Amino acid sequence: MFGLNKIIPVDSDYKFLNYRKKFYIASGVAILLSLILLFFKGLNLGIDFKGGTLIEVSTQNTNIGELRDILSPNFNEVSLQEFGDENTIIIRLQNENNQESIETVNKVKQLISDKVQEFRRSEFVGPTISSELLWKGFQAVSFALFAILIYIWLRFEWQFGFGAVVALTHDVLFTLGVLSILNVEFSLSTIAAVLTIAGYSINDTVVIFDRVRENLRKYKKLELLDLFNLSINNTLSRTVMTSITTLLALLSLYIFGGEVIKPFALTMIIGVLIGTYSSIFIAVPTLLVFKFRPQEDDEN
Amino acid sequence: MKNYPLWKIFIVIILLFLGIIFAIPSLLYKENTGSWYLDNRLNLGLDLQGGSYLLLEVQTDVLIKEEFENFSDTVRIIARENRVKINNIEKNDEALKVRFDSGDKLKIIREEFLKNYRSVNFAITNNIISITIDEIYKKSIQDAAIKQSLEIVRKRIDESGTKEPLIQRSGRDRILLQLPGVKDPERIKDLLGKTAKLNFHMVDDDDTKSLSLNIAPFGRMIVSDIDNEDIKYLLEKKSRVGGENLIDAYASFDPTEGHAVSFRFDTTGAQKFGKATSENIGKRFAVVLDGVVITAPVINSAITGGSGIITGNFTSQEATDLAVLLRAGALPAPLEIVEERSVGPGLGADSIAAGKIAAIIGMVLVCIFMVLIYGSFGLIANISLIANLFIIIALLGTIGATLTLPGIAGIVLTIGMAVDANVLIFERIKEENTKNKKVYETIKKGFDRALSTILDANITTLIASLLLFIFGSGPIKGFSITLSLGVIASMFTALMLTNLLVHFYISFASKKEINL
Repeated sequence: MFGLNKIIPVDSDYKFLNYRKKFYIASGVAILLSLILLFFKGLNLGIDFKGGTLIEVSTQNTNIGELRDILSPNFNEVSLQEFGDENTIIIRLQNENNQESIETVNKVKQLISDKVQEFRRSEFVGPTISSELLWKGFQAVSFALFAILIYIWLRFEWQFGFGAVVALTHDVLFTLGVLSILNVEFSLSTIAAVLTIAGYSINDTVVIFDRVRENLRKYKKLELLDLFNLSINNTLSRTVMTSITTLLALLSLYIFGGEVIKPFALTMIIGVLIGTYSSIFIAVPTLLVFKFRPQEDDEN
Repeated sequence: MKNYPLWKIFIVIILLFLGIIFAIPSLLYKENTGSWYLDNRLNLGLDLQGGSYLLLEVQTDVLIKEEFENFSDTVRIIARENRVKINNIEKNDEALKVRFDSGDKLKIIREEFLKNYRSVNFAITNNIISITIDEIYKKSIQDAAIKQSLEIVRKRIDESGTKEPLIQRSGRDRILLQLPGVKDPERIKDLLGKTAKLNFHMVDDDDTKSLSLNIAPFGRMIVSDIDNEDIKYLLEKKSRVGGENLIDAYASFDPTEGHAVSFRFDTTGAQKFGKATSENIGKRFAVVLDGVVITAPVINSAITGGSGIITGNFTSQEATDLAVLLRAGALPAPLEIVEERSVGPGLGADSIAAGKIAAIIGMVLVCIFMVLIYGSFGLIANISLIANLFIIIALLGTIGATLTLPGIAGIVLTIGMAVDANVLIFERIKEENTKNKKVYETIKKGFDRALSTILDANITTLIASLLLFIFGSGPIKGFSITLSLGVIASMFTALMLTNLLVHFYISFASKKEINL
């Protein structure tokens, strides 16, 4: 209609796999850096996983310094931070135990109630709960990877499952590494984002694998390398289109969706970019390792 | 449109109609109206409407400790009755060990003891008895405590005037509370933080020596005053009457003492209280609440009417809360708050507004992009996308799902991902278009070829979101629900609605070729 539909032509012929070694190295370095970051710097754990108390207040004529001056002498570990704009402030406190939290919140409220317009939210997560939540999050991600592996294995062949899980693990680690660099708060909703990324990335990978399988049946004589390149090109405009529409929605969520949702949206944006990259440059090249030519497909 | 099966058209129209009809209540109405249809709405989660989520842990280990305390008291009483001398007593959370001077009569003690506590393990070795309990015994103590705690918590929350609270057991020893619209969670936390065990004990003012040494002899205990920890009382350990015999309590005002709580005993309580007061005129009795003495007045005359008044340095709110606690009854064990999430109404409203804007802008961006790339086909995809949103909202409303902030994020994300199925189909049609001449055949092949890809791709997303549902808590569950429904709805709209619209468009515009 506007001529934009030919941005990526149906018969595009990019030789993605011919550069695969470069991408292996690039991804390998990225994963290594991510692991080093995760090991030494770690993630910026929110109270969901670290435990503690968080209070969000909105103020009118008080600045963050005034509140800090009131609170700092009264608590050992208190940190204040502007949240979105200068009139919204987040106060974080570390508690020793559960009982303390009630007193802490009460004390904070008493100390600053005349400076504050509204107490927007208060959250407290006890030490037992935070470790449970962390464990559950870890379980969810591992089970998801495993379940997806099983599904791919049933629908395709095990080599595909291997490729998909390599790509998935790559996405999860890489995303966590970027989160660590950017110091994005890691909370329950970030875990949800990571799992959704797993879902998205696998979705992308499956579409290409589907085409690989179809082409394996269609072009019995074609070299595997060319066949994989062809399959990626066949699905390339779809891969790009879906990534763009998803990113458009996420961008809107990041900019307009409010402060609380920002870490989630940012994690998703990072993940979608990495997931799209890995489907093309990691998942498919991994299949080359096996040099397989299926005799008969499971669908025939 | 010739040869397009009528039943397909029919199904699409019916489902769209239902989607719109059942989305209307969620989109347009906020208050309950009492009508079955209009109340079939999305519920807003606590993070959107404001309110408190609390997770409480029943401290059942206290009960186990108490149980061993009871064991030890019982053994001492039986030993005294049988004139057996106890050498020493060792207790921990696992066992009670009592060493006697001699091993005689220990069998009699066992017999007596087991009359009171049937299913404990009672072992005798030489002159030592050891009492232990098994997991089943422990669990029965815990279960009873949690059941009772649930009931008391429910009563206290009801008394506090909270509307539509959700109170349920969670896991082995936790209680989950959802209190929508609560503006002052601190007060609720205060109400739940007290065990509210009320007991009336006689004060022993004669034995000043024990009090000054701060060692309680057997059958006595030392308790401090509520206002001043340095003021101690020596009390009889056994209470004369307790809070379980109260039938009513209410805040009142005493001209000389200020805010107070008036109470009334049931018949048994009144008898016990009457007996205790008539026997001890001139002595003092102490009102003990959760291990501290609130007041210890002198008994001037026998109180036989069964009602009385507790004074202390109460504020009006304290008196009201104490009355609430006494009416609701005592918790069997202390509750500890292990997780709390409270959101004020301001933040909730802001989140809804921001979510709406993000959804609308995301939608507009995606729609514009689709038209730019696919032209008329993009318009068709957009119609499907809008239908998709209506269906998601209708489904969420009919199953009574709760919309949370991550749930809104799920919807916005779905907007971006839902066009995927359409994109897959259009790209296939585009490919087929280069090979085929016949328009209908091209379309048919495009849809057929895309089908298995769409299924595979969406099922993997569903797996991830199912696991989120299983392992996620509260708001995250909301996200996984909207994401799953979005994925399912997008498969329907792409395969049925887009299909119908594409055929309709081709035949209506009598297209001989496809410009994709």
